[in-house]
Amino acid sequence: MEIRGVQIDDTFAEAFGMRGVRIIITAKNQKWARESANKLTGFATSVIACKCEAAVERELAPAETPDGRPGISVLLFTMDSDSLPKRVIERIGQTVLTCPTTACFDGLPDSPDRLAIGKPLRTFGDGFQASKMIDGQRYWRVPVMEGEFLIQETFGKAKGVGGGNFLILAESADAALDAAEAAVDAMAEMPGVILPFPGGIVRSGSKVGAKKYKGMIASSNDAFAPTLRVITQTALPEGVNSVLEIVLDGLDFHSIAAAMQAGIDAACRAGVRSITAGNYGGKLGPYHFHLRKIMSGNLDDAPRADSSGAAAPA
Amino acid sequence: MSDRITLSLRAPLDRALNGDVITAERFAVLGASEISALSLWDGRTKIALGDVFSVSGERAQTVVLEGDLTKLNGVGTMMTAGALEIHGSVGKATGARMQGGTITVQGSAGDDGGSAMSGGSLVITGDAGDRAGGALQGASKGMTGGHIIVKGTAGREAGARMRRGTLCCAGAGPGAGLGMIAGNIIVAGPIGEGVGAGNKRGSIVALGGVRVPPTYAYACTYHPPHLSLMLGFLRERFALAVDDAHLHGLYRRYSGDLAEIGEGELVEWQSA
Repeated sequence: MEIRGVQIDDTFAEAFGMRGVRIIITAKNQKWARESANKLTGFATSVIACKCEAAVERELAPAETPDGRPGISVLLFTMDSDSLPKRVIERIGQTVLTCPTTACFDGLPDSPDRLAIGKPLRTFGDGFQASKMIDGQRYWRVPVMEGEFLIQETFGKAKGVGGGNFLILAESADAALDAAEAAVDAMAEMPGVILPFPGGIVRSGSKVGAKKYKGMIASSNDAFAPTLRVITQTALPEGVNSVLEIVLDGLDFHSIAAAMQAGIDAACRAGVRSITAGNYGGKLGPYHFHLRKIMSGNLDDAPRADSSGAAAPA
Repeated sequence: MSDRITLSLRAPLDRALNGDVITAERFAVLGASEISALSLWDGRTKIALGDVFSVSGERAQTVVLEGDLTKLNGVGTMMTAGALEIHGSVGKATGARMQGGTITVQGSAGDDGGSAMSGGSLVITGDAGDRAGGALQGASKGMTGGHIIVKGTAGREAGARMRRGTLCCAGAGPGAGLGMIAGNIIVAGPIGEGVGAGNKRGSIVALGGVRVPPTYAYACTYHPPHLSLMLGFLRERFALAVDDAHLHGLYRRYSGDLAEIGEGELVEWQSA
C-alpha cells in the first residue's frame, strides 16, 4: 500500500491494556488551566520510568466544563489498577491543588468503577474542608490561601489501551520531524487519545531489554538507528536517514485507530519513504493495530476487552 | 395502564383532610377502583378517596391532582418515586418525609412542606408556608436530602434544623436556617431577620442581599468555586432564574453562627 508515494508496511502496532482516568481541570482562563495541566502531565512519557503516562487530551470551552469555566482535559494511564489512584492523587495534589484558580473534576462520569481522589486530598484542609453534594456527586471544598480549591470526591476509571504507535522513516531528520509534526497536528484534540511524549514525538524508540546490559528494561531500537545500519541487523530501507515514532494511549481501541489513521495520513508527505510500526510478534500485547487495515478504514477485527480488561488477541 | 392518573376534586373542601395516602408510587400499581377505595383521614374517621376525587387513569407513574387543595394536607408523605403534579395550591406538610420522586405544586403550599424529607424534589411555583424543609415537631433534624425549590417566597424558619439537601427560594421570611446543621439554603431575594441563627455547618447563600446577624463575622470576599457548579445545576435542572453574574461572581463570606461552632457560612453576592 502506498499513500502519496509513501510505503505503508504490512505490519501492526502492538499495544497493551492500561487503566486510566480523565481529569478535567478548569480555571479562571485557559492560561491557568494549561499551566496546571502542563505540570500535571510533566515527566509522564512512559511507564518504564515515569510510573504513568499522561498528556493533555484537548482544551475545553466553558460550555463543556462542569463549572462553566475554560478547561483542559487530561488523560492519565498506568499499567495496573492499584497504582492508578496513587499516581493521580500525587499529581493532582502537587499540580492542580497548588495552581491558582483551578478546580478539578472527573471526566468519566459514566464509569461505574470509581477511584477516591478528592476524598484523600481533602485532608489538606486539615479539618477545615467542607463537602457539598451537587447532582448526586460529592465535592470537597478545601480552604487554601487563595480562597478555596474544589475537587470531586471520586473519579471514574477506564480500561484503556497503551502503546499504539507508528514509525516515520524519512530521508532526513528534517523531513522526519516535519512529517511527525504534521501527524501530531492532525491528531491533536482527537477525543480519547493522548500522545504522551514531548510534542507527541519520540526519537528514541526502544526495544525490550538490551543486548549488552542485562539489567535494562528497554534500550535503543538499534534496528531503526541509522548510524548502526551496517553493524546491526537493520530494518531501515535504503535512503532512510532518520526515524521518528508517534506513541498513542487511549481510552479504547477505536479512538487510537482513528487517531493513527489521521496521523499516518498527515505524515505521508515528501521526504518520507515509509511508515511502519513496532510490535513484539503479537505475543505480548492483545491490541494489534494493523496499519493497512487502519488506512483502509477496516477496523472490524478490533479486539474486545473481556471483563478483566484483557483483550482477545486480534 | 395509562400515561397518568388524574384526581379531580368533586367539590370544594370545607374542612381539612389528610391526604398522606396520595403518593405516586402507591398509585402506580393500582387500578382506578382500587385508588378510589383508598381512605383519606377526615379527623378521626376515614373517607373514601373516590368520594372526594373523581379518578381517571390507572397504574401510571404520574399522578395529577386538580382543584383547590388548600385544605388537603400531607399529600406525598413518604413518597419514594414517580411524579406528583398538583395543579393548584395545596395544604400543609406536602412531601413531608418524602424520599424520592418529584412533587410539583403549580400554586402555593401550606406550612411544613418537605419537612424532614430525605430525597427527591419538591417544586412549588408559588409561595411556601412556614418551616419548609424543616423538622417534624419535636425532631432534631429537618430535611436530610433532596431539593425544595420555591419560586415564590418561603415563610418563617425555612430550612430550620436541616441536615443535608438544598432549599432554594425567591425570598425567605424570618428565621431562615434556624438551627441549621448543614445543607444549603439559597435565597434569590430578600431574607427576613434572624437568618442562620444557631447554624452549625450550613451554607446560606444570599443573592439578593442580607442583613448579617451579629453572631456572624466577615471572613473575606472571594469566588466560591462550588457555587458556579451548584447554581448552574439548579438553573439547568429546575429552570431557576440565576444570572451568569451569580455563577462566577464575588461573594462576601461571613462565618457563623459564632454562638454555635461557627463552621457555617453566610455568603452574600457582591458583584459579577
